[in-house]
Amino acid sequence: MRTLNLCILRGGPGRPAAYQTYRITVDEHLNILDAVQKVWATQDPTLLFRHACHHASCGLCGVRVNGRERLMCLTPIAEFPDGATVTLEPLRNFPWVGDLVVDVKPLMERMAAIQAPYVRRDELTAGGEEGTRFEDCIECGLCMSACPVVGSDSAYLGPSPLAMIKRLLEEPRGRDIRSLCLLAGDAHGAWRCHSVMECVEVCPSHVDPSQAIGWLRRYLILRGRRQPAEAQRR
Amino acid sequence: MERSLPYRPVSEHVARTPWWRRAAAWADLHGRREGWLAFILMRLTGIGLVFYLFLHLTVLSTLARGPQAWDAFIALARSPLFVAFDGVLIFGMLYHGLNGLRVILLGLGVGSRRQAELFWGAFVLSIVLTAVAVRMILMMG
Amino acid sequence: MTLHVVIIGAGSTGAAVAHDLTLRGYRVTVVERGEVACETTGRNHGLLHSGARYVLNDPPAARECAEDNALMRKLMPDILELNGGLFVALNEEDLSYKEAFLEACAQAGVPAEEIPIKEALRLEPNLNPRILAAVKVQDGVFDPFHFTLAFLATAKHHGAAVHTYTEVVDLVWNGRSVSGVKVRDRRDGREYAIGADLVVNAAGPWAGRIGAMAHVHIAVLPVAGTMVAVGRRWVRRVINRLCPPCDGGIIVPQRRNSVVGTTSWPVENPDYIAIPPEQVEAMLAAGEEFIPGFRSAPLRGISAAARPLLHESSQLVTADPGARGVTRGFSCFNHARDGAPGLFSIIGGKTTTSRLMAEVMGDVINEATGITNPCRTREVPLLPYHAFYV
Repeated sequence: MRTLNLCILRGGPGRPAAYQTYRITVDEHLNILDAVQKVWATQDPTLLFRHACHHASCGLCGVRVNGRERLMCLTPIAEFPDGATVTLEPLRNFPWVGDLVVDVKPLMERMAAIQAPYVRRDELTAGGEEGTRFEDCIECGLCMSACPVVGSDSAYLGPSPLAMIKRLLEEPRGRDIRSLCLLAGDAHGAWRCHSVMECVEVCPSHVDPSQAIGWLRRYLILRGRRQPAEAQRR
Repeated sequence: MERSLPYRPVSEHVARTPWWRRAAAWADLHGRREGWLAFILMRLTGIGLVFYLFLHLTVLSTLARGPQAWDAFIALARSPLFVAFDGVLIFGMLYHGLNGLRVILLGLGVGSRRQAELFWGAFVLSIVLTAVAVRMILMMG
Repeated sequence: MTLHVVIIGAGSTGAAVAHDLTLRGYRVTVVERGEVACETTGRNHGLLHSGARYVLNDPPAARECAEDNALMRKLMPDILELNGGLFVALNEEDLSYKEAFLEACAQAGVPAEEIPIKEALRLEPNLNPRILAAVKVQDGVFDPFHFTLAFLATAKHHGAAVHTYTEVVDLVWNGRSVSGVKVRDRRDGREYAIGADLVVNAAGPWAGRIGAMAHVHIAVLPVAGTMVAVGRRWVRRVINRLCPPCDGGIIVPQRRNSVVGTTSWPVENPDYIAIPPEQVEAMLAAGEEFIPGFRSAPLRGISAAARPLLHESSQLVTADPGARGVTRGFSCFNHARDGAPGLFSIIGGKTTTSRLMAEVMGDVINEATGITNPCRTREVPLLPYHAFYV
């Protein structure tokens, strides 16, 4: 068992923002998400937080743990010494719903605008017939919160949507390449990135948005060189 | 005119915040790592270099006011404080240039998994080269 | 006149009922105290059952799974990873079930095909080479949150309202019948009433609490199950153990992870389930039986949520402490017979068959209201889950 002080930013629109500390004792093989759920179940039923799968698949439990964007379900209790204070704050750059909950609608709108796919072919296990698997991106929004460009240009498409566009251009499956290129090539698209690299560092799910954005830039440049020829043929 | 985008701003709140306050949020280093530090240093050295460019032009303009004015400046330039300024300037130029190479690589999607090492490489190399340069200045002086 | 239905709970059941009822022409409001699919649904295995898991102990449930598995493939293709599944025998005891299993699959209409062990190992190179038999089935994988969201997105686009972070604190009565719910908006603490012609209790393990508000006794047994995820995609398809439902009998690949589960133990309070460390250990050991080296991959989360199992009497629990014998089927109630007309409950079931459960619930509600609009969920494809937000 380990006792932690969870210092949680409470409040929301129309409610004053203030840190509230809960002292909670949990098994050390569990994660911060379990500690928060225990606080909610045993100390404060008004605490708002998002969660579903508890194994980094739904992408709901993203918060800032001691300032850094993480999934609570992937933040082991054992990482903190007994009696430590752990600060939990909602993700930045999203509209605040209350306590640890933000409105992820802006991210989902971006994903919807680029018609994000959900399954892809399996290239991880060798040989045999072709399987399919989910995309790496779990749409948790951690990268959107960690990116200073999202924080200063709110029309920026953002790291994970750009990474998703790269996936689609790699494997379009009937999607409109031209509109994807327009989005990626926009002033608020791939060219807006400042290579701050925090998106790569906070991603809990193997996506490398920075590498994807670089890929998009190369793709857009090469496409720009190809296109005049295409136009002439017509 | 801006093309209308098929999605809304990330946050109306962010969109309404004045630009200087949004930029000020960049200075919030709480919980951040090398990439962010590199980004902030890049901005600071960039602003510093622009400032230096104008300072440089101003100093050069003293030449137009005759040899005495220039000698007075040279005397000032030999002071330890000014040599320290030189050191900061040289570090700024070196870091901005070296990290610029790093950003070019990263911006084209190269080396994203090694970005922290690249930052420390650029940073340490800048410091070492700055130390060498300052030593050379002192020996010349 | 359009009847207004309030559905309590936005798990897969509540979401599917919302979808079904909007298509039948009802006006629907869903209230959920947390996030969509934040409890039981969210922490299920994400396995689109072929039905084979249930052929031995619950053939009707197996048939339902097989039918809805085939349907959901057409209705929500972009939510499902159609990678198939294998049942493998790990020891002689497992092997002794094989003939009965194949027979039962054929009888329940569950497509199953025995394949040579060599072929199974070619398909799944990481599988334990000492398996004694392998049967191919049509399992699939989904993320439960997105699965639920797809139902709600479609319901929303047909006019349903979805209120998350809105907790039901009481029922509203009109004379002796239920005519709405009193809710608390957890974001600002505001309490208000939502009037309704019908209220559907789809609160899963908490259904008993809603029932108690109407002095209706609903015997829901919250039975928790532990799942452990590791950070490597050991298998490309679902691997099941060829035996009656047992602990640690299934490995589901989710993205680059593998999720092994599950256990089964009754819990008192489903709000917070402390997962015992020995269960995590047991799951990893079970994974190791399927895949030598399973636990060498880094841990990627442990989870447990309570399934809402319906039992007729509490004796059932003591007779079978693991509660594996309690039916995986589901039940729909019209509580008019319990003195609470206007209140309905839907309890139990599986996420795979949530569409079917909603169809049955819709029929029960139609019978009560006299509305004859038929179920249309078999034909209407679901919108992409992003549509929930747009």
